Amino acid sequence: MKHLSEIDLALLAGDDAGRMRRFSLEGHVRQCAECQERVDEFRSLRADVATVADADMPDLDWGGLAAEMRANIRLGLEAGECVRETHGFGNRIFGGWSLGLSAAFACLALLAGASFFMRDARSFPAHPSPTPSQVGISSSEPLPSLESTNAGVGLRSGSKSFTLLNHDGAVASQTVSAQGAVRSRFVDAGAVTINNVYLE
Amino acid sequence: MFIWSKFAAASVLCLAFPVGNPLMAQETLDPVSSVKIDLPPDSPVTLIQTGMGDSRATSRGGAIVLDLHMSLTLRNSGAKRVRGVVLLVTAQEFAPGGKGSVARPCIDVPPSQNFTVPIDIRLVRPVQQAGGPLVHVQLDGVLFDDLSFYGPNKLSSQRAMTFWEVEAQRDRAYFKQTLQAKGENGLRQEMQASVGRQADRPQLDVSLTRNGRAAGSAVPSTDHVAQFAFLSLPNAPVQPLEGWAAISGNEARAPQVEVINKSNQTVRYVEIGWLVKDKSGHEYLAGSVPASETTMLLPAGQKTRLLQDTALKFSRTGRPVDIEGMTGFVSEVEFADGHVWVPSRQDLSSPLFRVMAPSSEEQRLDDLYVKKGLAALVADLSRY
Repeated sequence: MKHLSEIDLALLAGDDAGRMRRFSLEGHVRQCAECQERVDEFRSLRADVATVADADMPDLDWGGLAAEMRANIRLGLEAGECVRETHGFGNRIFGGWSLGLSAAFACLALLAGASFFMRDARSFPAHPSPTPSQVGISSSEPLPSLESTNAGVGLRSGSKSFTLLNHDGAVASQTVSAQGAVRSRFVDAGAVTINNVYLE
Repeated sequence: MFIWSKFAAASVLCLAFPVGNPLMAQETLDPVSSVKIDLPPDSPVTLIQTGMGDSRATSRGGAIVLDLHMSLTLRNSGAKRVRGVVLLVTAQEFAPGGKGSVARPCIDVPPSQNFTVPIDIRLVRPVQQAGGPLVHVQLDGVLFDDLSFYGPNKLSSQRAMTFWEVEAQRDRAYFKQTLQAKGENGLRQEMQASVGRQADRPQLDVSLTRNGRAAGSAVPSTDHVAQFAFLSLPNAPVQPLEGWAAISGNEARAPQVEVINKSNQTVRYVEIGWLVKDKSGHEYLAGSVPASETTMLLPAGQKTRLLQDTALKFSRTGRPVDIEGMTGFVSEVEFADGHVWVPSRQDLSSPLFRVMAPSSEEQRLDDLYVKKGLAALVADLSRY
C-alpha cells in the first residue's frame, strides 16, 4: 500500500487539509495502521510543542507571534497573486518587484517559523557532562507537576516527562494524594500493578 | 492557498525533523546501559531475568522519547510467602524532583517460586544528555504473609502494602462468606454488582503541583474557601471535625482537615478520602488528604490538622470539572504499634460504594471472574 507523504500527514494532524482532501486522507488513514500511527505522532508532537510553550515560555506573546506569522503568510499569498497576475498580463513594470517581494515574504514566513522552533530548542540546553546537581530541577525551571491521564501517571517538568504507563487496554483506577502523589492501578495478566509517581 | 499550506507544513517539518534524519529514527535500547537494577545483597527476592520487550528510543525534533517495556522476573528466595513488592523507579532527568514506584500487591508467592513485575515507562528528554543509566530500579519493600516487612521503605511502602493487604483480607473474607452463605449464585450476583460498579464509576483526570497553582488550570480571578462535609463512619478510630480548601473553578488548593483521635491508642497516620461534586451534582473520588508523615503522632483524645500545600486541578475528558462541593471521610488509620484500620464493607456501603475504587484484591477478583469465570474465582478464593 502506498503511504501518505509527510506533508499530507502533517496537514491532516493539524486540521489544515481542505475538506475534500481531508476526506480522502482520512479514508486512507482508516485503512492504514502505519499512517494512523504517524498521524498520531504528529498530533503528539503538536501537543508537546503546545505544552512547552505553556510551561517554559510564559512571557512570550504567542498570540501576537501567531498573528504576525499569519499576516506574513497572507502577504506572501497576496504577493503570489501579484506574480500570477504579472505573468498573465505580461506587466513588466511590477513583474520583477512582485517576484522579489513574494520571495522576501516567503523567507520572512520561514524565519518566523524557524524562530518558533529555535525558541523550542532553547529549552533543551546542551550540557554534555553535567554534574549531578546540574541534572536536577533548577530554580529557573518550571515547577514539576504530576498528572493522571488515560495513558498512565506521570511527572512533567517543562519539556521533560516521566510517565509510568498503564497496560494497554486495562481499566485503570486512578487516585491522587494531596501530599504529592498520583496512583494508577490496573490488572494485567491476572495480577494487580500499582504505579505511583511522587513529587519531592 | 493549498500550496502555501503545504509550504508552511513542509517548513515546519524541516525544522522539527532536521534534514538527513529519518522521520522517526528508532533504535533498540541496550538494557545494560539504559537501566540499572539494584537489589540489596540480603534481599528476600532475587533478580532472575530482565526482559526489555519492544523497548525503543524514538527521536522527535529536539527530544528523544524512550519507551521502556521491562519485565523483571524475581524469585522469592526467602522462607516466607511474599504478598507484595514495591520497586522504586527513578529517572535521571527527575532526580531530584520526583520519582516513581511500581508495586505488585495481592500476590501469594511461596518460597523458591518466580513472579514478574512489569515496568512500562515513557521518558521524554532532551537529545543531548549525560551518559549512564536512564532509569534506576531499586527495591523499596517486600511484604510477607505474616505482615512482616523487608526493605529500605523510602516510599512508606510498608504502610501502603499493609493497607492493601488488610483490605485484601477484608474483601476475600467477604466474598468467601458470600460463597458459603449464598452459594455460587449468590457469589455470581455479588461479582456482577462489583463489576457493574467499576464500569459505572466516574473518574477524573488530575494535575497536581506543590506550592502553587496546578499546571494549566482554568482559574477564575476569585478564589473562595469551601468547607468539607464529612461522612461519619461509626467504627472509625479518628473523626474529622472540620476542613476546607481554597477553590478556584476546577482547582483546589491547600486542603486541610482537623481530626480528633477517638480511640485509646496513639495514631501515627490518618488519611481522609476526598470526594468532589461538580455543578451538575455528579460526585467523584478526587483523592485523599493524608497526614504529613514526618510530624504526625496523635495521642488518644487529641486533635491535629492534616495540611497539604499542593494544588490539584480536576478535569474529565479534557474539560475542566468545576468544584461545587467537597466531602471527606476517614479512609485509613495507622496506629503507633503498626496495626492499621480500614473501613469495613458495611462502612463503605452506599453512597460511598458508587464512587469509591474497589480494593486491589476486589479489582483482581473482578478481573478473574470476567476473564475466567465463576469456577476460577471459586478456586482462587479457596487457595488461602
